Amino acid sequence: MLDGVDLDLMPGELVAVVGPSGSGKSTLLHLAGGLDLPEAGEVEVAGERLSGRSDAELARLRARHVGFVFQAFHLVAELSGEENVRLAARFGTRDAADRVAALIDAVDLRAVARSLPAQLSGGEQQRFAVARALVNDPTVILADEPTGNLDARSGATVLDLLRRSTDSGRAVLVVTHDPAVTARADRVLRLHDGSLA
Amino acid sequence: MRRALRRLRGRRRRVLTAAALTAAAGLAVGVAGTVGFSLATGYDRAAQRTDQPDVLGRFAPQRLSVLRERLDRLPNVEAISYRLEVNRVRLAANGQSKRNGAVHVVRPGRRGYGVVAGRDLGSRAGEALVERGVAEEWKLQVGDRIDVGGLGSLRIAGIALSVDNVAFPLATVPRIYVSEAEISRRFGADANPGVNLALVWLADPSRLDITLAAARPAVFGLRTEQLLTKRAVRQVIDQAAGIVIALLAVFGLVACACAGVMLAAASAAEVRRRAPALGVQRALGATRGAVVGDETLDAVLVAAPAAALGLGVGALAAAGPTANLLGFLNEVAPGSALLWPLAGAFAGLVTVAAAGAAWPAWRLNRKAVSELLRGGDLATGPAKRRRVPSGGLFGLGARFAFARRGRWTSTISALAVAGAAMLLVLAVADLLVSLRDDPGTLGRRYALTVPGEQRDARTIARIPGVAAAAQRSTVEAADSFSLTEPLRVIAYPGDHVPFEAPPLAEGRRLAADGEVEVGLGLADTLGLRPGSELAIQPAGSGELRFRVVGIVRALENDGRVVYARTARLRDADPSLGGPIAIRLASGADRADVVRRLDAAGFESSATGGATPRNRSFLGVLASVLRAVALAIGLVCLAAILQTLALTTRDRRRALAVMRATGAPPGALAAVLTGTAAALIVPAVVLAVLLQRFVLGPIVAELAASYATLPLGVGATGILLVGGGLAAIGAVAVLVVTRAATREPVAAGIERDD
Repeated sequence: MLDGVDLDLMPGELVAVVGPSGSGKSTLLHLAGGLDLPEAGEVEVAGERLSGRSDAELARLRARHVGFVFQAFHLVAELSGEENVRLAARFGTRDAADRVAALIDAVDLRAVARSLPAQLSGGEQQRFAVARALVNDPTVILADEPTGNLDARSGATVLDLLRRSTDSGRAVLVVTHDPAVTARADRVLRLHDGSLA
Repeated sequence: MRRALRRLRGRRRRVLTAAALTAAAGLAVGVAGTVGFSLATGYDRAAQRTDQPDVLGRFAPQRLSVLRERLDRLPNVEAISYRLEVNRVRLAANGQSKRNGAVHVVRPGRRGYGVVAGRDLGSRAGEALVERGVAEEWKLQVGDRIDVGGLGSLRIAGIALSVDNVAFPLATVPRIYVSEAEISRRFGADANPGVNLALVWLADPSRLDITLAAARPAVFGLRTEQLLTKRAVRQVIDQAAGIVIALLAVFGLVACACAGVMLAAASAAEVRRRAPALGVQRALGATRGAVVGDETLDAVLVAAPAAALGLGVGALAAAGPTANLLGFLNEVAPGSALLWPLAGAFAGLVTVAAAGAAWPAWRLNRKAVSELLRGGDLATGPAKRRRVPSGGLFGLGARFAFARRGRWTSTISALAVAGAAMLLVLAVADLLVSLRDDPGTLGRRYALTVPGEQRDARTIARIPGVAAAAQRSTVEAADSFSLTEPLRVIAYPGDHVPFEAPPLAEGRRLAADGEVEVGLGLADTLGLRPGSELAIQPAGSGELRFRVVGIVRALENDGRVVYARTARLRDADPSLGGPIAIRLASGADRADVVRRLDAAGFESSATGGATPRNRSFLGVLASVLRAVALAIGLVCLAAILQTLALTTRDRRRALAVMRATGAPPGALAAVLTGTAAALIVPAVVLAVLLQRFVLGPIVAELAASYATLPLGVGATGILLVGGGLAAIGAVAVLVVTRAATREPVAAGIERDD
């Protein structure tokens, strides 16, 4: 799927990856986050190599350094928005739970914090998903089409949140087709037939 | 069909999983069906095969001509055969021997037994038939020799089966058959040993009452010990196996319910998973009926061979232990007759699997095609907030379980029934032990007996540690009006309550010589109530009449007992005796009392329980119970495993997202533990209630309607079953967690299948 891809993400940088369907964008994100392992080559996150690690070690590494945002939000249907954020905080550092309330305020969702995903709009769900990605204060956020299922206004709000998250030195890698995202990216990379251009 | 096979080949792994589940369900049904059917029909088969007579009359030895003269004129009689039963004969063979053997001297005519190996007695000299139970216990074969007291060494010509009693060694008397010609050869043609058994076959068995009514005056004046009908024989044998049959019936119910739930849930989950594929078929123009038909055909093609395999293996596995149990009851295994119920079970399993696929496919296909293409779910409307405490990862697992309300309900129902059956197995095992060892279970309060006379009782009562002592006499008798009903009279010189006090079900305790308390078993048979008159005919004496003042729940002699005072019985039979029953003082040391009795010249025996002490039978019973408990445990494991597997399949994406956000394998295990707990905890509570208020009383009633069987739920039982289910749940969580974490995280996020 990917061939000869060499990508460095710098702290505080928002990088957008664009490309046609099937070009390997999602695979790039999965490899970067240790959700999949490469057949060849190396992936390092925050200076730590992913290859040769057990499932538990990879989980610890993701909890410390990686936050994910998905196009379809993927909130757990049985948990409220706040509980979804708290669920992710369980796997991070001890102070992660203390950040939950502040993050929900920051994404402006206090009023609907106890609502189930089915009772929320797409924009609200994605903001909870961003709060979930940020709760463990990760080194990098990997976002797969984060505005793909949202209207323009909600998309802009989510994009603001991702952009602001780089202020504290966090790197953000976004796979997108959305010109609004590429417009606010520090770098835009094109992926074609598994190769970066 | 070819297209269906191609479809199945395309998803080989899932097809194999579904087939394994169906085979497991078939296995459970196969075991339950084989044991249940064999035991339920074993007696009838044996009765048919052995040409069992409709009435068996036992008399004091008579000349053949005397009995013939009286019985040959009875109405509705097709045939009568006469035998002489000689008791207390020494039998020895193959290094085994018994001094209480019975030799049946058989005359020409219908036999009343079946020959299961070798051949029947013929004209050859020096031959005998041995009963199947004796042959199996003593490892005898046709052609071996058996030493018979008074007759010497005889060649075993065949092995015989008779269903007028349970088999040796469950029945304590070993039995053999020899021909009358053999007796004549040994003792001369003039030897006329007489007969004491009459085997009566009726022309119309449904008119038994007419023949019995005529038999009573016909045998008047003869010392009639017993007139046993086929129904009474069956009752005796059924009571020996009653608890086991009831238990196995419950197990069959559990196995079938669990199998149905497992199959239906698995088929439904498979159809739901394939919703997008169904959407594609619909989009390409397939009708709803065609899509449902395809899904049903697929389910049938998977279920049919798997169910056949499971049923076959289950039937084969159960056949051996069942044949052993039937052997103890002198019954016959079903052989090819088992094929019919197995065919029914096969049809049932395939139907459940087909319906489990057809119904959700039909429901899914009512949705818009576009919705199906997006993976439409059977759940309707948005998720509602459930009042479930958050409880962290465990709470999340519980919410996953509750989210599929139908599956949750059916699984805990299956687990609850299984748990209740396990509690029942434990209660029955406890009961068997206490029946064997604890005289208190029978309402007996005396702890020791010594041989002696009533005058010795006063001496014994003065020994320190003895609270009371009295002579306990027992008399075997029959009801005067219905000679087919044998009963046992237990008599004390005074009040029997200090020595044995079975609970009073109705009326009051006896207070005079002419009053009796009767067991519920006898009261039900004869229609006795307080105030009724009971006329009994003790063996070898005239009729005695008593007034019934109380009905008691007694286990001894299947509740066919009468408690009376000794006086009237002794008037009828001055030689009436019996051991001295000794009740110990509260806190007395039994060993110390035994030593003091020894010193006073009384050799004491400890009082035992009631069940057959035969180790082999108890061993077989215990192994059947253990097999049942193990099978129920396996069914529970399969049910929990399947529910957890279905939950992880449904929640594949949620679990993958958790792993993406850093959840270690332990966190997934915690979630699944919550799911398992949401199934097991309510199931255990329901199981306790079910056993306490439904299964326990039903089984107790089925096993012994004449007594109060202590089949309650103890703390130990609850702990064992709860702990067992928890352990089974832990195993299931480990297995499913391992399977879930083996998959790459990305696969769970990207695809929904």
